[in-house]
Amino acid sequence: MAPVTRTYAITNVNIIQGPGRKVDMGTVIIRNGIIQNVGKNLTIPADAVVIKADSMYVYAGFIDGYSRVGVIKPKEEPNRERPKDPGNPEPAQAGITPQNDVRTSLNPAEKSVEDLRALGFTTAQVVPYGGMLPGSAAIIQLGGASSNDMVLSGNSSFYSELTPAQRVYPNTVIGVMSKYRELYRQAAQAKSYENMYASNRAGLERPVSDKILEAFYPVIDKRVPVLFKAERNLDINRITLLQKDLGFNVVLGDVKEGWDMVNKIKAANAKVFLSLDLPEAVKEEKRDEKKEESKKPVDAEKEALEKRKAEAIAQYTAQASVFQKTGITFGFSTASAKTKDIPANLRRMIAAGLTEDQALAALTTTPAQLLGIADRVGTVDNGKIANLVITDKSYFNEKSKVRYVFVDGVMYKYEVKEEKKTDAKNGNGKKADPNGKWSYTTETPQGNSTGVIKIKNDGGTYSGTITNSMSGQETELSSIVVEGNSMTFTFGFNAGGSTMNIDVSLTIDGNDFEGTMSVGNFGSFPMKGSKDPNQ
Amino acid sequence: MKRILIAFTVFTSVSLVQAQVDRGNVLIKGGTVLTVTKGTLENTDVLVRDGKISQIGKGIAAPSGFRVIDAAGMFVMPGIIDAHSHAGIDAINEATAPVTAEVFTGDAVNPFQVGLYRALAGGVTSIHAMHGSANAIGGECETLKLRYGVKDPEAMKMEGAPRTIKFALGENPTRVHGSGNGIVPRTRMGVEFVIREAFSQGKAYMEAWDAYNKAKVQKGFRGTPPAYNKRLETMADILRGNIIIHCHSYRADEIYMLLNVCKDFGIKRLVFQHVNEGFKVAPELAAYGAGASVFSDWWAYKFEVYYSTAYNAAILTRNGVTTSINSDDGELMRHLYHEAGKTQKYGQLTDDEALALITINPAKQLGIDGRVGSIEVGKEADITIFKNHPLSVYTIPMITIVDGVVRFDREKDADDQRIYVDPKQTIDVTLHTSSGHDHESCMQGAVYETAKLFGFNLLEK
Repeated sequence: MAPVTRTYAITNVNIIQGPGRKVDMGTVIIRNGIIQNVGKNLTIPADAVVIKADSMYVYAGFIDGYSRVGVIKPKEEPNRERPKDPGNPEPAQAGITPQNDVRTSLNPAEKSVEDLRALGFTTAQVVPYGGMLPGSAAIIQLGGASSNDMVLSGNSSFYSELTPAQRVYPNTVIGVMSKYRELYRQAAQAKSYENMYASNRAGLERPVSDKILEAFYPVIDKRVPVLFKAERNLDINRITLLQKDLGFNVVLGDVKEGWDMVNKIKAANAKVFLSLDLPEAVKEEKRDEKKEESKKPVDAEKEALEKRKAEAIAQYTAQASVFQKTGITFGFSTASAKTKDIPANLRRMIAAGLTEDQALAALTTTPAQLLGIADRVGTVDNGKIANLVITDKSYFNEKSKVRYVFVDGVMYKYEVKEEKKTDAKNGNGKKADPNGKWSYTTETPQGNSTGVIKIKNDGGTYSGTITNSMSGQETELSSIVVEGNSMTFTFGFNAGGSTMNIDVSLTIDGNDFEGTMSVGNFGSFPMKGSKDPNQ
Repeated sequence: MKRILIAFTVFTSVSLVQAQVDRGNVLIKGGTVLTVTKGTLENTDVLVRDGKISQIGKGIAAPSGFRVIDAAGMFVMPGIIDAHSHAGIDAINEATAPVTAEVFTGDAVNPFQVGLYRALAGGVTSIHAMHGSANAIGGECETLKLRYGVKDPEAMKMEGAPRTIKFALGENPTRVHGSGNGIVPRTRMGVEFVIREAFSQGKAYMEAWDAYNKAKVQKGFRGTPPAYNKRLETMADILRGNIIIHCHSYRADEIYMLLNVCKDFGIKRLVFQHVNEGFKVAPELAAYGAGASVFSDWWAYKFEVYYSTAYNAAILTRNGVTTSINSDDGELMRHLYHEAGKTQKYGQLTDDEALALITINPAKQLGIDGRVGSIEVGKEADITIFKNHPLSVYTIPMITIVDGVVRFDREKDADDQRIYVDPKQTIDVTLHTSSGHDHESCMQGAVYETAKLFGFNLLEK
């Protein structure tokens, strides 16, 4: 059912019009999908739905520079047949479909649209599925009733990947790069010939129409840039090799490892969308002093490797900050990011040196400029499309919740769930009670195993036992430590005349726990359990 | 018309933008200098300025700021060159067609492979990073300098090294395409046909373009240009003499076949790789001026490689064939000096002849002998310093220098030489211990019981 009015007044709100432009406790008025007025002491129109956003924050809706949000994934065709002549496949089989247009496979009801919008994203440049040349990209709004409603502008980029074809030519990255150069040069040749033919046709063979080569023409004319998937540092190098040979305008999408490639990126005059995906952060582990004392060579080696891994993760996290410092403007892309991780990843980038304003610019004004849509979106200003996100705290605050998102002036409201009284992860509540009988399951590569843990609290001193369904043995627990809602213990397992220690670390949340079981050099396995109700 | 010409010239011109290369200054003092081409010089200094050998002699004073390496009692030789490697690249075989002359391993250089550092630790300074042998005509190859530590893949390339291309005869291309896909070539006859056909097409393509380019400068010319084809473009460049062929081959008959094919098409620059039966056609190879890059004693890994001898390198050498010993392997690459030494056991080659197999000869085969492969004034300072003579089994590579920059130093060899670290890797350290009684680390007896207890079983893998 259509809303009765398309006029909204968001009142008493902190307006972040753009990076560094703030209006305290002002009002934003939206009418017919457009921002009509922004400021203090505005008259509320009589037909307006009033949103009392007391002390909330309103930002321009975020722009995703490159992803497949809202794009229908084609059904995988299980073509297991061995190709007859793998050196001469049909272009589509080789991933060469530059004539395709992502606008033919959009769907506003895709769950990805809803999920990304719930984080405050309102606009995205989206690309088709495919191989090395999937087709042309489009800039879409994350809303609307039909695929046409979504489109802000079509043919925004000529989308390319270094992805090889399966079982047919080009089957390697060197094949892809070679094919890319050949197609580009053939297109340039065909285009020149067409121009010559158009100027005087007499006596010349007519040019043959080729929709694949014709798709390159806007790129050769530099009316449309090439958007390349460019996650790895070596991808960036290879793309800049092609760019140097062929001379197209290039956009690097979903860059994850670009910090050592900044000079090449600058030399190629590339536009950049940095990935919002980050490698998982290293969990802080409590050091066991006893272990420190008896450090073995294997521990020292492991520690050195862990250290290098942590340094590597820090480089990924600091990428945005490095780009900012070297003066490369960048937006963000969500192409490979887990949607639920995006706010936390932004906070990690900020902790690694990016300022909140810089992060906001990379989410709003910069991508708007890079995509050529800054006249319509990217700031909270009169006359712009009403793409807004409203949060109860500053967006980059860990506790911040998105409360409303507007896309083309259409409101999406988000209810805030009641928070649990105790925060299970931080243990900043009451102390958990491990006392009692717990049933557990561990997941190992060969399947699950189960057992029972019994814990007894004897005036603050804990003791207990563990059993396992596979062995039936009951083993005493040692070094039981309970802190807040975390519990750790160790038990020895006697096998073949030698004993090995198994370390368990659990987080207790009421009558459930979750954690890991570390078995010597075999690694760690997840462990889950709950308190036996029959005690 | 002019527009076509201009557009086309721009597109096909080779990119001249070059990566920044570090060049060092160093004085190597008092070593036994094995120049390979100019004899052995006892107690001699080698001065390297700006990445090049600027002076060889006795009592050279170190200019200020130069690093001084005391090589007294050590052996200073040219950096080892491996004419057959697949290291340092992310793609090796575009195995989908019998002819893929258009692909280029230089597009897929990966300077982060830690194996490159290990090669440096074996005294190697340059490698020929080749396309594989799945296709009768594979792709162009890249000559790399092992400037391990650089993060720019372009800085690994030996700037200005001649273009080379991989060909392959015999079982590999017939198995992949003939047996695998049921297309030509299925036999050695088929391989010859595929190569001749590709050259013929390349020749026709070259002639069509030459005719077109000639015609279009005529006044009032109007016409259709030949369709651009990157594969034939490369074939034409071989015919023009701009690319050196490096051909995977084993049997004497197929080696002789390719000599004849090349003769028919007027191709002169040709090196045979592996060439296990090269000793049978050594005079023919020498007469043609073709090179041979062989293993010291590696064979019998498939049918066509049974008829082999460890005297191959020596026989080829003594017949006047420019011969090298290569690795084609990450492990073998680390001790090519031992491989060269074997020719003294099997063939009594002199020290210089043996050392030439891994230095100046592979350099000649790659067309880089004017720049590297021996210790001579004016050459690039790719130098390896050994403790004990490099042809002795007791030799130890101590320092490897590329362009005057020390890239490996045994004294400063850290455990973890990776340039980038996978941020998602699971860190799993396995300690090999000889003590079976320490109950913390002794896992032997516990493996099976642990498996039973926790439901995973490593023994069953």
